[in-house]
Amino acid sequence: MSLDKMKRREFLKVLGWGGVGTTLAGCDMPTTVTVQEGEEEVVAYLAPEEYVIPGIGVWYATTCAQCGSGCGVHGRVREGRVLKLEGNPDSQVNRGKLCQAGQASLQAHYNPDRITAPRVRRNGQLETIGWDQALALLEEKVGPSSGLAGERFAWVTDTVSGHQAVLLKAWMEAVGSRHHYVHEAVNDAVWRAVCRDMLGDENPRLRIDKARVILSFGADFLSTWGSTVQNSARYAEFRTAPRGVLVQAEPKMTVTGANADLWVPVRPGAEGVLALAIANRLAAEHGRDLSKLPADVQQQVRAYDIDKAARITGVSAEHIARIAALLNERAPSLVLAGTPAEGHARGYDNVAAAMLLNIVLGNVGKTLESGAGFPFPQLAAKTGGNRELLDFAAALESKSFDVVFFKGANPVYTAPEALKLKEKLAGVPFKVAFTQFEDETAQQADLVLPLRSMLEDWGTHVPTAQPEQMLISLQQPLMEPLYPETRGFGDALLALLKLRKAPQYAAYDDYYAYLRNAFAALPATLKQGAISDQQFWTRAVQKGVIEVGAGSGSLTARVAAFTVAEPADQGRPYTLVPSAGANLHDGRYANLPWLQELPDPISKVVWDSWAEMHPITAAKIGAKTGDRVRIESDHGAIEAKVYIYKGMHPDAIAVPLGQGHEAYGRYAQGRGVNPLKILGLATETKTGELAHHATRVQVTRIADKVGDKLVKLGGSEAQLGRKLVATVTADVYARTEGEA
Amino acid sequence: MSGIRQLFSGRWSFPGVRIPVGERAGLSSTAGFLALVVALFACAPLAAQAGSTVPNAVPPEGTYSGKDVPQPIEFPHDIHAKINGINCMYCHTYARRSKVAGIPPTSKCMGCHSVIATDKPRIKQLTEYWEKREPPHWLKVHDLPDFVHFTHEKHIKRFVFDNPELPVEQVSEVCAFCHGDIKDMTVAKKQKPLTMGFCRSCHEANNGPFDCWKCHK
Repeated sequence: MSLDKMKRREFLKVLGWGGVGTTLAGCDMPTTVTVQEGEEEVVAYLAPEEYVIPGIGVWYATTCAQCGSGCGVHGRVREGRVLKLEGNPDSQVNRGKLCQAGQASLQAHYNPDRITAPRVRRNGQLETIGWDQALALLEEKVGPSSGLAGERFAWVTDTVSGHQAVLLKAWMEAVGSRHHYVHEAVNDAVWRAVCRDMLGDENPRLRIDKARVILSFGADFLSTWGSTVQNSARYAEFRTAPRGVLVQAEPKMTVTGANADLWVPVRPGAEGVLALAIANRLAAEHGRDLSKLPADVQQQVRAYDIDKAARITGVSAEHIARIAALLNERAPSLVLAGTPAEGHARGYDNVAAAMLLNIVLGNVGKTLESGAGFPFPQLAAKTGGNRELLDFAAALESKSFDVVFFKGANPVYTAPEALKLKEKLAGVPFKVAFTQFEDETAQQADLVLPLRSMLEDWGTHVPTAQPEQMLISLQQPLMEPLYPETRGFGDALLALLKLRKAPQYAAYDDYYAYLRNAFAALPATLKQGAISDQQFWTRAVQKGVIEVGAGSGSLTARVAAFTVAEPADQGRPYTLVPSAGANLHDGRYANLPWLQELPDPISKVVWDSWAEMHPITAAKIGAKTGDRVRIESDHGAIEAKVYIYKGMHPDAIAVPLGQGHEAYGRYAQGRGVNPLKILGLATETKTGELAHHATRVQVTRIADKVGDKLVKLGGSEAQLGRKLVATVTADVYARTEGEA
Repeated sequence: MSGIRQLFSGRWSFPGVRIPVGERAGLSSTAGFLALVVALFACAPLAAQAGSTVPNAVPPEGTYSGKDVPQPIEFPHDIHAKINGINCMYCHTYARRSKVAGIPPTSKCMGCHSVIATDKPRIKQLTEYWEKREPPHWLKVHDLPDFVHFTHEKHIKRFVFDNPELPVEQVSEVCAFCHGDIKDMTVAKKQKPLTMGFCRSCHEANNGPFDCWKCHK
């Protein structure tokens, strides 16, 4: 009976019965049965540890392995199950904070789509087998009896560090292969190359906290670029009094851009010109001395006065002048350049022009510090970019490998369609995937080996960006493995090594034993205060990190040769911005429902892809919010719903990364589109990185919104008089709050 | 706390009457009086039960006839708690420390039964489990839905440790509020409804917290 059809009399009847029920309930007539007795099992401990109390959680330290940042984690364990993660305050990487991907790693652990036993391809299908069979197969295919030369083996991984990296390297040396491709689709590879060439250190420490003004060319350092939790803590210090000023120049507003005091939309690829124009203004208006720069660089700076640069970059001369004035008056400053600046044919030169500003403004050594001096280089994080993906594909083209191992990376998903990676992989006789999930790459594998989750495994991690006090972060299992037929990555590597170097590794029953031995072998200077190796180990496990001292080293400021190019908009009318977000990153978190459910901070869209464009662009295309558009490059087309937002350059169309999975479990599969698929294969000239922000596209509206809505939180971008953000005019402020 | 003791020191508290009906806005005094009469009348048969052997406490009201739950070992609560007078919290040691009372770990059983009554068939069964290094899979008798937060610790604190007039040896009287006469049972059987009304009547009578989020959080 629906409410509007309910008559008054019936309404009173229902009300009357309700009243009787209330009276009875007041005298405790059991009206409902609560929970059935004798249905559920309750199993006590056999002999618990003294400190274990059912119902009360115990927090253990471990390390987050969701990305390479190596944040320390505390996990609450109750009744043998890990229930909640928080940042470990003892880790100077994240100082007690944890990002959404770290929080959601619980869902990678308890995910219903985890692979629970090894699978082997027979007659085209993946069939479940036991580990003994899997190991026998490995021995046959990759052991010494395979008769394969070392160069016929390759590994494709995401960022690896710690003792896992040591074991992997040991295996590579044991077989005699050099082909370890570290592939990260979202990376800072070009920035690193510029830092290496101009500062003498490819991974300088970004002292965001020390800067008084930051100019960022699309470096989304709060959300996707670098060690974001570490950056955020430094950013909080940067914003405390005296409050630092943040200027962000980029084609699509990122989370960092949304936090900026001044956000300027810059024409895609014109970041280098903008940086040169700022240098020009610094010299012309503020008397900065550029005479020590190489002649060709001086010439380039002279070539772009602010008016000319305004025409090229789309940033007004007034804004350029204002940014230059800010940089001049507030020292020290920090200039960063991220993905949108890097991803062009002349991306290196864009980033180099930004780095030039750091040199001109004297930031090197102040807000850019040397990150060198980590005493255990063999443990240091080994990271990479897209060049490794292109190199790998080229090697496949020439049939270089007989066996390829995959771990962490999902190149079949992250490779552009034009690379034809899937087809090329078919030519590799034996492919092994170490993974927790059946992703696109695992689907192509001949042997799929199920890994333990990060909450079930041992390991050590060295952060990609070390804090001032450098550290090694220890990962320990927080609970028994959910599935007995899974193995830790370290254990799997040991098993592989035992096939080749049995005498050397026979002493280690498992990876735990190996780690204990490795910790015992650490230099005595690290163990000060511990009376034994056992105590040192126990302390390390309790604390979760071992501090190894401050780094040493200094940066050089040397302007490398570079030539900034103006963007040449050829072919199709718009530039595609494949934008990364903190929720799904490069797509690796798409199978975690919490992160799918978490609205994108800018568009508020959940569980879907969208095409983000400026109102002017939308008007040109004739599309309204929610309309479907077809985005077509030379290499394919994708369709997505339109989201109109002013935080875009009118020449750019942004499609977020992370969706469009063809596999990867029930939460990821068949949802949205993957913009990486339609990227062209143009590369960055100096580094060979993929020019991922240089693909030109045509956008056409294909349908109205009918029934198929863009699902997003927040119905309206307008405040509708609700005073969500209170504002006051300058003269009123001066009258009421200002100084007399 | 002293206020609560003054209010409920006698055995003559009627939980049904404690609703301050006259204070409800919009109710005429006649209606209030009528409601009072109805409440008194309806609760009269239960009033005898309201008395308790626990000082400074009014037990919750209601009964429930639970089914027999076959357990892997027929554990005799009566032999332990009644005949031998073992305190409930000796085995359910977590009750005063945690939200759950906890099933005692097998090691606890074996603490005594490696020497006591080792010839009895149930103890032989227990020893078998112990030697297999496997705890028995008991079946849950008392349970609450997941959206209810109940903590043993706070209840034991209120009725036992913050209640100096109740010797801790008599804690079983407090346990019986919600678990019934376990002392007289072998394996436990549900004797109390454990419904929201059941909880509410006790919270009302003993001036317990009354915010929704105290239990539904």
